[in-house]
Amino acid sequence: MKGILANVGRIDWALVGLVVLLSAVSVLNLQSTSRATGSEVYLSQLYWMLLGLGVMAGVAVVNYRDLQRYAPVFYGGVIIALVLVLIFGREINGSRRWIDLGFVGFQPSELAKIAIILSLASWFQKETRPGGYGFKDLLPVAAMLGAPMLLILQEPDLGHTLMLLFIAGSMLAFERFEKRTMLIVVVSAIVLAPIAWRFVLRDYQKDRILTLVDSEADILGAGWHARQARVAVGSGGLLGKGHGEGTQVAGGFLPENHTDFVFANLAEEHGFVGGALVLVIYLGIVLVALRSAVRARDKFGGHVAVGVAALIFWHVVMNMGMVLNVLPVTGVTLPLLSYGGTSVLTVMAAMGLLLNINLRRTVF
Amino acid sequence: MADVYLDGAAWGYQQRARRLMLAVVLVFAGLLLRLAHLQLVEGDSLKAASERNFVRDVVLPADRGTIYDRHGRVLAVNRPSFDLYVTPAQVRDLDALVAGVREVLELDELEAIHLRERIEEPRGMWRYQPIRVERDIDRALVSRVEALRARADGLSVQVEFKREYPYGELGAHLLGYLGRPRAEELKDTERRYTKDSMVGRFGLEKRYEQILAGHNGLERYVVDVRGARQDGGWARHAMEQDNRIIPPERGHDLWLTIDIEVQRLLVEALARHESGAAVVLDPNDGTVLGLVSKPGFDPNEWSSGLSSEVWQQIQENPFNPMLDKSVHAYFPGSVYKVVTAMAGLEEGVLDADEEIDSPGRYEYGNHVFHCHKRGGHGKVNLFEAMAASADVYFYKLGERMGIDTLAVYGERFGFGTRTGLGINGESAGVVPTRAHHEAHGGYQAGLALSTAIGQGDVRTTPVQMALAYGALANGGTVWTPRVVESIRRPDGQVVSTFEPVAQRTLGVDTDHIALVDKALERAVNDDKLATGHLAALPYGTVAGKTGTAQVRRIQRDSMRQSVKRFRDRDHAWFAAFAPYESPRLVVVVFLEHGGSGGKDAAPIARQILEAYHQRIEPIFQTTAAVDRDRLPERGAGRGGRASRQR
Repeated sequence: MKGILANVGRIDWALVGLVVLLSAVSVLNLQSTSRATGSEVYLSQLYWMLLGLGVMAGVAVVNYRDLQRYAPVFYGGVIIALVLVLIFGREINGSRRWIDLGFVGFQPSELAKIAIILSLASWFQKETRPGGYGFKDLLPVAAMLGAPMLLILQEPDLGHTLMLLFIAGSMLAFERFEKRTMLIVVVSAIVLAPIAWRFVLRDYQKDRILTLVDSEADILGAGWHARQARVAVGSGGLLGKGHGEGTQVAGGFLPENHTDFVFANLAEEHGFVGGALVLVIYLGIVLVALRSAVRARDKFGGHVAVGVAALIFWHVVMNMGMVLNVLPVTGVTLPLLSYGGTSVLTVMAAMGLLLNINLRRTVF
Repeated sequence: MADVYLDGAAWGYQQRARRLMLAVVLVFAGLLLRLAHLQLVEGDSLKAASERNFVRDVVLPADRGTIYDRHGRVLAVNRPSFDLYVTPAQVRDLDALVAGVREVLELDELEAIHLRERIEEPRGMWRYQPIRVERDIDRALVSRVEALRARADGLSVQVEFKREYPYGELGAHLLGYLGRPRAEELKDTERRYTKDSMVGRFGLEKRYEQILAGHNGLERYVVDVRGARQDGGWARHAMEQDNRIIPPERGHDLWLTIDIEVQRLLVEALARHESGAAVVLDPNDGTVLGLVSKPGFDPNEWSSGLSSEVWQQIQENPFNPMLDKSVHAYFPGSVYKVVTAMAGLEEGVLDADEEIDSPGRYEYGNHVFHCHKRGGHGKVNLFEAMAASADVYFYKLGERMGIDTLAVYGERFGFGTRTGLGINGESAGVVPTRAHHEAHGGYQAGLALSTAIGQGDVRTTPVQMALAYGALANGGTVWTPRVVESIRRPDGQVVSTFEPVAQRTLGVDTDHIALVDKALERAVNDDKLATGHLAALPYGTVAGKTGTAQVRRIQRDSMRQSVKRFRDRDHAWFAAFAPYESPRLVVVVFLEHGGSGGKDAAPIARQILEAYHQRIEPIFQTTAAVDRDRLPERGAGRGGRASRQR
C-alpha cells in the first residue's frame, strides 16, 4: 500500500486524461446515434467504460513481474478460447467471432492482441541478441504469431488477423535485425502477397479492396458502406450538422454506425473540428505510449509499450482509413469510440499496461 | 536483465522510438489531410450527395392534352395504365408472392421461375429498387392485384398515363406518336420530364409538345434508406425547405381543322396503293381537312413501346412507312405546267389562243425532247395544250423564258419554300435555277425545257401542290396550311385561336389566273383531249391536272425484284379543285411510283371528291347558275372568272 502511494506521483496523468476525454466523447457520440436508431447502446457503453476504467486501474497495479510470468498462461488461455469460438461461436453475418456468455458476448480475438503483446515482449526479454536477431530467431516468433492468426482467419476475421500481424511487425521494428534477415522478410512478403490474394482472401473481401480502387463502382452493393461513410464525413463540412442532427445515421443510410463506422457520425455532426480533435487525442495516446517505451525499466516493458502503441495506432489507421475511403472495408473498430464491451475492456487493459510500465519506470 | 536494456542498447531503442514517433505523426497528418479534403474540399458536393440520400422528389405526371378533330371527335387521349412492381427488400414470403402473381397474371411455370430469379437477384441496396413485373395490366386484374397486395408484402401498383389513338392508322403521320424523352429533354427542369415520361416524337404530338404536355408536378419529402417517407423527428430538420408539393398542370387540348371522316375517306381512296399521299384543303383559307401519307402505321403501337417484330417489319418495309410523304418533295411532272403557263402569260411571251405546233419530238441543242404522246398534238392553244398535256408546247414556253424566269413563278406559287405546316421534317422542295444546277452537276440550256414540264430537278411536296392549286382556285392567295383550329382548356375555354394566314400572293393578273383555271377545267372535261377525264363528275365541274413524273434512279442489284419494278415506275399526280365555278375544295393525290397521273391518280381524286360530296358535305350545287347568284363575292379572282364564264 505504501509502495502504491509512493508511486502516485508517477501516474501518467496525461494518459489518464486522454482516455477519460475519449470515453466521454464516445458516450456522447453514441448517445446521438442511439437516439436516431432507438437503441440505448450509449448507456451500455457508459457502463463498459466505468468497468473498463476499473480494469485499467487493476492492470496498472498488478505486479510487474507477474505480467511477464503469466504471459504464457494468458496466451494459452486465448488460444483455447479461439478454438472454442470456432466450435461454439455465435454466427453473425457468416462469421463466428463471439462466444455467448449469457449476459454478454465475448470476443476472444480482442484478447489475442494483448496475449501477443505480452508473449512477444517476454520473448524479447528472455532472448537477447546484442548483435541483432537473425532469421532463425524469427521462427519461434512466427509460430507464436501464426497460431492465433490462423485461428482468427478461420472465423473469418481478416481485420483482426491483419491486426495481429501489424502489432507484431511494429514490435519487431523496435528491435535490431541482421540485414540479411530483413531482406528475406521483405522478399517473402512480396512473394506471399499474391498467394494470399488468391488463396486466403474471400470474394467479398476482394470486392471491398476493388471498390476502393473504383469508389463509384457498385455503390448500391459492395461499395455502399464506404460510399455512405464518405458522404457522412464530407457532408459534415467544417463545423458539422450539429449534435443529433446527422441524417446519415437517422435515415439508415450509414450501416454499422455505432461500431465500425462510428467515426463517420462524429465527423458528420461535429465536422472537421470534431474529427480533428479525436484524431489529435489518438495521436496523443500513441505518442505517450511510445514515450513509455523509452522510459521502461527493461526490454519487456519497452516492448509492451510499443505493442500497445501499435495496437492503438493500427486500429485508428485501419478504421479511419476505411471510413475516409483510403483503405478497404475491414471490420476493425475504433478504440473506445466504437461500441463493444470486449473491445472497450481490451483497450482499457492496454492502457492499464502503459500505466503499469510508467509506474515502474526508470527515473533519469 | 534491466542492465542489458539500459546499458548496451538503450541508445538504439531511443533512436528507434523517435523514428516510430515520426512515422506515427506523419501517418496521422495524412489522415488529417484526408479528413480535411473530404470535409472542406469535397464538403459541398458530399453534402449534396447526403441530401440526395434523403430528399425524394416524386414527379407527379401531368395529364397530356387531348387532340380533337373539327367536330370534337377524340383523336388522341390519355388513359391511366397500371403497372405492377415488386420491391425485393419488402418481400416477406417470396413463395406466396410468386404463386399469387402467377395466378393473377396467368404466368406459365417458366415465367414464374424467371420472376423469382429477378426478385432474388438484387443485392445490397439494389433490393430497394422496385422491379416492374408487368406493364399496363388489365383493368379487371387491378382489383385482384390489390387483394393480393394485402396478403403479399412487396407488391405495388403504379399508375402511368398511356396515350391512345382511337382511330389508329387514320391519324398516323399527322398526329404522330410519343416516345421516351432524350437526354437533353430530361434536363428540362421546368417540365420535369422523367425517364418514364412520354414526349411527342412525331407529327402534331411533337410539334405541339409544349402545349399538350403541361407541366409535371413535384412532391418533395424526406425518406429513409428503405424509401419510406419520414415526417417526424430528424426529418423535420433535414430539409432546408419544408415538404412541398407543386401540383401538376394539365396540358391544353388541341382542336384540329382535320375531319377524321375525311381522313378515313382518303385512306379508303388510297387503299389500292402502297405508297403515296393525299391532301384535302379549303382553297379559300388554307384550312386542311385531311392529310394522309401511305403506308400508314398505328401510333398506338409506337406510343406503348414497339415490339421488336413490329420494329423489324417497319425497318424492312420498302415503302418507308415512317416518312410523311405529304411533306416530302418529289418530281411533280405535268402538274407543274400551271407554273409555266402562268409565267408565259405574265411575261407576255404567250397568248392563250396562240396556236403552237406541238409534235411528238423536239430537238434542242444536241438533245431530243419527247412528248408523252409519240404522234404529238399538232397545233394547239393553251387550253388544248393543258388538256392534252402537250409537252412540246411547254418545252417551247420554257425555251422562250429560260429557267430563271420559270423559277420566279415557281417561287410565287410557294414552291421551294416550306409551307409552315411545321411537322415531320417538312421539305422545302426545289425550284431549280441556273445557279442551282451549276452547284449540282452543271447547267445546260435544255434544263429550262425539262423544268417547264415539271421534270429536270423540280421537286415539290403534295402539300405545296395543294396550296399552289388553292391559289389558282381562290384568285391568287397562297395560304399557310392551317391544321390546328384552336388551343383550349379542358373546360372548353379557348386559349388561342389560329386564324388563316396568307403566306404570299401570286401577284399576277387575275385574268391570267382565270385563263389557267379554264385550262385546268379543260384538262378534266375536254371531250377529246382531257388527260384528266377520269376525274370528271357528272354533277359538278372539276378543274385539275395530271402529272406523270419520270423517275431516274440508280438501280441497286440487291433490291428485290418486286421493289425494283416499283422503283422503276413513274410518280403519278393529280391536283384539282372543285367546283370549278366556286371552289370549295382542293384535292391533291400523289402516288409514289404509282404509274400514270391520268389513269391512276385522277380516278382517286374523283373518288375523294365524290365521297366528300356525299359523306361529308355537298359541295356541288345542281346548276352553276344558281350557285353564282347566291354566293357573295369572295375576292378579286371571282370577278375575273364571272366575266370569263359569260
